[in-house]
Amino acid sequence: MNPIDLSLFDLAGAASLIVVNGALSVWLKLGLERKLAVASVRSVVQLLILGYVLVPVFSIAHPALVFGLGALMVVLAGRAAVRRSSRTFRGAWGAGLFAMTLGAVPTTIFATAMLIQVEPFWTPQYFVPLLGMVLGNALTGVSLGVDTALKGFVLGRGQVELLLAFGATRWEAARGVVADAVRTGMIPILNSMTVVGLVTIPGMMTGQILGGTPPELAARYQILILFLIAGAVGIGTMVAVLLTMRAVFDDADRLRLDRITEVG
Amino acid sequence: MLLTARDLRWREICWPDLSVAEGEIVGISGPSGAGKSMWLRMLAALEKGEGTLALGGRGLSELGGPGWRTQVLYVPQDPPAFDASGEEVWARLCSLRAREGVRERPALGLAPELWSRSMAELSGGERQRIVLAMALAVEPVVYLLDEPTSALDEESEALVEAALAGRTCVWVSHSRAQLERVATRVIAL
Repeated sequence: MNPIDLSLFDLAGAASLIVVNGALSVWLKLGLERKLAVASVRSVVQLLILGYVLVPVFSIAHPALVFGLGALMVVLAGRAAVRRSSRTFRGAWGAGLFAMTLGAVPTTIFATAMLIQVEPFWTPQYFVPLLGMVLGNALTGVSLGVDTALKGFVLGRGQVELLLAFGATRWEAARGVVADAVRTGMIPILNSMTVVGLVTIPGMMTGQILGGTPPELAARYQILILFLIAGAVGIGTMVAVLLTMRAVFDDADRLRLDRITEVG
Repeated sequence: MLLTARDLRWREICWPDLSVAEGEIVGISGPSGAGKSMWLRMLAALEKGEGTLALGGRGLSELGGPGWRTQVLYVPQDPPAFDASGEEVWARLCSLRAREGVRERPALGLAPELWSRSMAELSGGERQRIVLAMALAVEPVVYLLDEPTSALDEESEALVEAALAGRTCVWVSHSRAQLERVATRVIAL
């Protein structure tokens, strides 16, 4: 089965749903209409550019091009992960980048090299979309984790400092905040793993089925993707939260809220 | 001297040098905003500022933050309303590596069942006594007390004062009468 072509008219039809959202926002005074418009335009532009960028990356299939694009994706994801938070700290950008790299890159290489066993492992048709899926989800985990950790330290200062006052190390004092932050970062992927196939048919599987792949094979790929994502979200969130913790304590195990700044 | 603090400074606030001998209770008085609480937090190495701290001749860098605070214990004026019972908080404190082999907690007039209630449900005075009881049980070398009886009635206040008698303390209080009762000397900020 060949996929049915989608015209710009069809896409405009889909965009009418965003207009409905915008109208609701105006009616209920949610103040979201501007954000909705910007986000919609961004998705259109970004996805169209991605489509055009992927053509040469796929056809030339040179490692430098694939890794270059991969690195750019990781950097942008790292940046986006810590920019969503309502608080930030010095070195947040580096922490986000490190967490995304450690969470997403090894899991993607593991999938292409050891599980799918595509030759070479960086074959762009596999490597780039997988990395993108993993990054997109890890980004949510990292961003939620960092945000929850910073909130936990600011709002739970009294509790953390009471433990410190009684001689706790930074790790002992922050354990509750850290566990809570990692848990929160993992909630979206755990939720989607719980309802997948029952309530939701994931985007990638839908795409594959629409593109003509037999549903059974699409399901296997989706399972692989879900496990990859869960692994990457877990590692990325944990690393990001631990780096956040390291940043807000100093060498005498003092909680340094002066290192956290509120954004906007 | 047991506890010494020299050239302590945090942003624009400077404090006089301090030496506390064993068994001494040094009272700190002064108007609101004079930096009394901040001084205690500096002494507890919970705030980063300038100056040198030493306990029995050993500096903060030698003891490390947790090592320092195990021996120099800061008791906040308004203990946090943990979403956990005093018993759970106490179990957590007992599980700290630095706190092995702690003594029994003094009662300080608290009904035993209050220990199993969420700290968020307790009054300020009850929380204050729960944290003080825990502080008394762990027996640090020096107590840094920030208005330890500010939320207590006279009876509980007397119990706390009696429990702390003979221990080495730096005691911040707004009450001149209290400092006259408990302190061996008073520094006015």
